[in-house]
Amino acid sequence: MTDAPAVLGIETSCDETAVAVVRGYRVLSNVLASQVDAHARFGGVVPEVAARAHVEAIRALTHRALAEAGMHQMDLDAIAATRGPGLAGALMVGFSYGKALAWALDTPFLGIDHMEGHLFAPRLDDPEYGPPAIVLLASGGHSQIVHLKDWGEYETLGSTIDDAAGEAFDKLARFLGLGYPGGPAIDRESEGGDPDAVRFPRALPDRPFDFSFSGLKTSVVTYVRKHHAAGTLPPIPDLAASIQEAIADVLVAKTFNAVEETGVRALAGGGGVLANRRLRARLAEEADRRGVALHLPSVAMCTDNGAMVAAAGVYRLGLGERTAPSADIDSSLRLG
Amino acid sequence: MTVAVACAAEADTRAVGRRLASLLRAGDVVLLSGELGAGKTVFASGVAEGLGVETPVVSPSFVLVRRYEGLMTLVHADLYRVGSSGEIEDLDLASDAADGVLVVEWGDVSEQSFGEDHLMVRITQDDEGVRTVALEPHGSWRSRPLGEVAP
Repeated sequence: MTDAPAVLGIETSCDETAVAVVRGYRVLSNVLASQVDAHARFGGVVPEVAARAHVEAIRALTHRALAEAGMHQMDLDAIAATRGPGLAGALMVGFSYGKALAWALDTPFLGIDHMEGHLFAPRLDDPEYGPPAIVLLASGGHSQIVHLKDWGEYETLGSTIDDAAGEAFDKLARFLGLGYPGGPAIDRESEGGDPDAVRFPRALPDRPFDFSFSGLKTSVVTYVRKHHAAGTLPPIPDLAASIQEAIADVLVAKTFNAVEETGVRALAGGGGVLANRRLRARLAEEADRRGVALHLPSVAMCTDNGAMVAAAGVYRLGLGERTAPSADIDSSLRLG
Repeated sequence: MTVAVACAAEADTRAVGRRLASLLRAGDVVLLSGELGAGKTVFASGVAEGLGVETPVVSPSFVLVRRYEGLMTLVHADLYRVGSSGEIEDLDLASDAADGVLVVEWGDVSEQSFGEDHLMVRITQDDEGVRTVALEPHGSWRSRPLGEVAP
């Protein structure tokens, strides 16, 4: 495998600054600014949104990723960086840094679609994973079901029509005073809770692969206000488990609609919401029942990271692609 | 003077946003205020419809800013996750939306960051879930025919 290309991957599409080195589809290093500077970044509920935060982190993180991979930058075969979608100012930092480094090293540069990165992430944990597959991508900013027909050939079958799944987790966790980030907080609090304690609505829009989570949010807020005032609020673990179940039910139902409709027998996932233990268990249960191969990546590969960007870079490099030095970011890039 | 519209259903909130769009000019700033689930994104999606935006408007809470192209550019931002006025300045929303309309959810957390010239839209709801959308003009908005947004 040492002949496989070594690619540095840079991800700065939103809050996280992340850099990794991948050789072939093997992760040699994978570092995140939030791990390095946990206090500054998770000291409060406020994420660093400024491009400045990425600027401050990126050079040191790149050096760290190379050191952990035991490599010198001269040994890199290519540099890949997220081109979009995301926050323009944030994207600009990683993309420009990647381009400049590639130019200085006289090595190929590849601008990568962040969502394509998520599609490649399961490959880093599991060589069995590949097209055709249905991939559920759910995070704070995105919720969509993608038909991975072939590498490079993606069809978005459905997406959220209002709020993303991770956003529902986060806003409801904050509303219930469970802390931030909300997904892990609900996951934790729901332990021992009864998922059937409260039957919150499952919005299933007419389109078979689309999601809607805004109604759930309003319904929980109304329910909690009413029962809090009346002194009849169920225990927090029951509430958290009921909310989690409502979200998981919708994600699972829509995902398997796509599996059945396309006849594809492999399922994967990506995005922070796929770190939710209940959702993972439900997907596993359903996949097992239907004889569908499940390729859920590790939690570290679900959330935003540089390795997934590098992995997509390995693929694009293999096709002989190069992103021109004059290329720009695209903050509203859309997958297939 | 403030114009208040009662909205019994989601479609009513959306319709107020849609009608507001006809009053909008390039460079306008509309700030939205209201609790979780009040209907801020629904209102913004009405504005988008009124501006002829064809793609569906989804919540910008996590990505902070989403841009849509219609008759004018719509920059739909959300301060839900943004903590300090310093961070708001870093986002530099006003110049991002200079050639279009800026609609900011949770805009009330930092009204002073957006200058005197803006429309504040406050969405409240009663126990039965009926929303009141109150449009509160500031600066040049005081001379605009806000009454036109009422059904």
